[in-house]
This record gives sequence, structure tokens and C-alpha cells, in this order.
Amino acid sequence: MIGGAARLSRNDRLLGAAGGFAALVVLVGFGAIVFDLFQTGTASLSIPFLVGKVENGGRAGGIGPVLISTGMILLVCLAVALPLGTGCAIWLSEFASKIRFARAITAGIDLLASVPSIVFGLFGMVFFCRTLGLGFSITSGGLTLACMILPIVIRTTLIGLSGAPSNLRPGAAALGLSRVSTIRHLLLPVAIPGVVVGTTLGISRALAETAALIFTSGYATRWPEGFDDSGRAISVHIYDLAMNVPGGAANAAASALVLLLALLFINYLATLLADRWLLKRIAPTSE
Amino acid sequence: MITVENLSIHYGNLAAVRDVSLDIPEGKITAVVGPSGCGKSSFLASLNRLTDLIPGAKVAGEIRLNGKSDIVNDPGLDLLELRRTVGMVFQKPNPFPLSIRKNFELPLLEHGISKREIPGRIESTLREVGLWDEISDRLDESAENLSGGQQQRLCIARALALRPKVILFDEPCSALDPLASGVVEDHIAALRGKVTVVIVTHNLAQARRIADEVALFWVRDGAGCVIETGPANTIFDRPKDPDAALYFSGARG
Repeated sequence: MIGGAARLSRNDRLLGAAGGFAALVVLVGFGAIVFDLFQTGTASLSIPFLVGKVENGGRAGGIGPVLISTGMILLVCLAVALPLGTGCAIWLSEFASKIRFARAITAGIDLLASVPSIVFGLFGMVFFCRTLGLGFSITSGGLTLACMILPIVIRTTLIGLSGAPSNLRPGAAALGLSRVSTIRHLLLPVAIPGVVVGTTLGISRALAETAALIFTSGYATRWPEGFDDSGRAISVHIYDLAMNVPGGAANAAASALVLLLALLFINYLATLLADRWLLKRIAPTSE
Repeated sequence: MITVENLSIHYGNLAAVRDVSLDIPEGKITAVVGPSGCGKSSFLASLNRLTDLIPGAKVAGEIRLNGKSDIVNDPGLDLLELRRTVGMVFQKPNPFPLSIRKNFELPLLEHGISKREIPGRIESTLREVGLWDEISDRLDESAENLSGGQQQRLCIARALALRPKVILFDEPCSALDPLASGVVEDHIAALRGKVTVVIVTHNLAQARRIADEVALFWVRDGAGCVIETGPANTIFDRPKDPDAALYFSGARG
């Protein structure tokens, strides 16, 4: 404890109390949301609900097709955003230091991060759905989401790379290691926790996204027949049930509960993976 | 033998080193001494082109290794091969955050040494720096668990494993405690005759103990330059330059 056994000054006690109160407010707020979701949603939550098809506009049946569509959208999104994002971050951090243009790119990326999602939705509808002719489809939705989470992935990877010990690069160069080896064997392992954090944040943002998806992947509730089919993401489903479907509140809460649990699980998994990776780095080469 | 001619190093508009010419004899230990900020480390980094990593650094002049192609200006120079031939050990021990074995495997595999050859190289170079008996049973543990002195000897061994012709030392003992410093110094001294050693040091006593040749850097007109060179056994006692005389007597710098 700061100050040890000595009596805390009045200001210190005041600051402690104010901080504690703020934490309490946050905790109570979060608790109230979760409590409300559990109260309204638990009754509808069941295995048939998770795998069943959507019936009567969502009032009855389950969310099976919605979960499948959400997964497929996420898959497209990550398949594009992860390689593109880490690649861009590596280029910015390791290759572009002497290029003035790179600064403009970094600034652009930060700007992109603050663009409201509805703008991404409109862009996706114009560019992916119409210009590229992908139509209202899971692919269009996934690509739109990829644009949206790209800044997060790039930023966190950059932070990860900048966390590399400052003597790593000169040390590697002095041993005649090529840039590719330095990045692959020394810098990427350092950046992996950052990439994992970025991916988790990206997934969280993607899963919670409504505005960018309504115009791109659409809101069809049938079982998706492929990546070119329209599909309703879970947050769109929740939004629709809550806003447009009288009597849909219970299933909206149950769906929100599923989303919440999925996010918690993904966060847990990400932490686990990052720890695993850190341990593995020390072990001998398996190549 | 390394021949340096009219070497200048600029960082942006700031001159770090101006017009340095110096011959570094093969197989000997050359100590580069002088007060802080006189361009010693910049000079050292130009010998293996590590200056390339510093944004805004510009090097002019000529550096030739055994009369061969110019390290500074040759456009066809193989940088990776240069750095294999001219190894470097830094002030702060910098083992990779990997296992001890991987610290060797990474550079050795990069330079095309076969996997069969690697264990032998690890053992022989670790023996050269007196580490084999201390750590041979924990090669798969993290190199970061070693003590500072052991880490620095590991870095020397890692550089030696590439069979370089030259090793550059940038104040290799200044981050170590006196005991570890002594051990590392002994192992550097033992390299005499095997590789060409260039060592930057602030420690004049160390330079006296291990150097064959000494070059004294000084700041003149805002940039580093060499004001005195010569064999270690005479330069300390009969310096020609008045600043050098004061520096060696401990009155300045």
C-alpha cells in the first residue's frame, strides 16, 4: 500500500473513495444489464433455441441460421482483416520508416478507426454490393466488417511490434539475419500477444455490429446457402427483435445473452492462446 | 587488416565523425578510447554498416577489409555476408528472448550451416568463452535466465559461431559487475591472434591491459576525430597531442 502504515491524508482518502464509487457505478451498471438479460432471456434459452430455425419473425423457434450466418461473416472478415492488417503493420513498422508517405497512411488508419459504422455500412453497400456486384451477401458483410476492424488490428499489431526490446533489431542485423528471418523468428513472436488482443477487440466489435451489416449482408433469416447468400448477423437479429417485432423481447434477450457469453468465451480463449504462445517461444525449434 | 580512409558520419546535419583515417591490424586488439560523444560507437557501427539502421545516418569515405571491396560505397556489397564476417557484441548483453540453443540456430541456419554441424559449433564456441561447463545441461532454457556476464559471453560465442574475421565490441564490459567484467575481458584478450578485435571502451585501464593498438577519439570543431594512434605500450606514456596527454594522465575527458 502506498504510504505504508502511515495515516492517509484527507485528499488521499477522498481520491480513494471517489475512485471506489466510480468503480461501483460501473459494476452496478454492468450487473444490471446482465441481470436484466438473464431475467428476460433465460427462459427461452435452450439447445433447440441455439440450433432451431427462426420462426414467426423471431418470436418463436431459434437462432440457428443467425449463428451460422454470424460465423460465416466473421470468417470472411477475419480471413481478410488478419493477414492484411498484420502485413500492413509489419510494413509500416519495419519497412516504411524512411518513407514520408507512411505517416499519412498511419494518420489515415487512425482516422478510419473513428469513422461511424453506419458510414462503413453505406460504403460497403455501394462498393461491395453494387460496384463489385457481390449483392446483399455474407461476403459483402464480412468485407465491410474487415474494413472496419482493420484499423484495430493494425494499431494493436503496431503496438505489439513497438514493444519489442530496442536491442533486438540491431542485434539481429549484426548477426547478418535477413529482415524476413528477424520478423518471422524474433519480431512476430513479440507482436503475437498484440495481434491476439487486436483480433479479440476486432471480433468483439464485429460481433456487436449492426449498422454496417444491415445494408450489406442483409437480414434474411433462412439457413444461408453459401457465402453469396444473404444472412442475418446476431446483432441485427437482436436489433430487429427489439425494435420491429412486438413480442420479441424474450428472444432478443436470449440472443443477447448468447452474444455476451460468446464474447466472454472468445476473450478467455484469446488470453489463453497468448499465454500458450509466450511459453512455446522458449522451447527448442521443431523445424 | 581494415583500412579506414577519410571516414565521415553525419546524423542529419550533425557531424558525428569527421575525416577519420585509421589502419586496424589483422589479428590484433585495437582499442578505441575517448570521452563520451566523440563518435566512437558511430565509428564502430560503420564498420559493419549497422549505421544503416539509424534513420538519417550518412556515411562517407572508404572502409576496406583486407583491401577488398569498399564497405561504405560498394553497391553490390552483400550486407548479410559482411555482418557474418564482421561480428559485433553490444554494450548491453542482447541474447534473443529464446532458448540458448535457438540463439545459435537462428543465425547459423540463416548462413547456411547444416543442422548436423550446429551442435558441434555450439559446443566449441561455448567452450571458447568458458561457458560450456556452466550451461551445457540447460541449452533449451531461456537465454534470459543467464546472469549478465554469462549472457555477454553467450553473445560473444554466438558471434564467434559464425566464424567471423573481425569482432567489434562496443563497451562490452560496462554493463557488467567487476567480476563478470574481468571474465569477459579475459575472453576478449584470448581472441588475440584468432580474429581481429576492435573494442570501444571508456576504461583506460582495460585498454592498457588488453590492447595492442590504441586510437584516441576526440571532439574537434564539433565532430569526432582521431587525435592520437599508436601501439599500446608507447601511446599512454608518450602521447604527442596535448589533449591526449591530459586524457591519459586522467586530468581531462
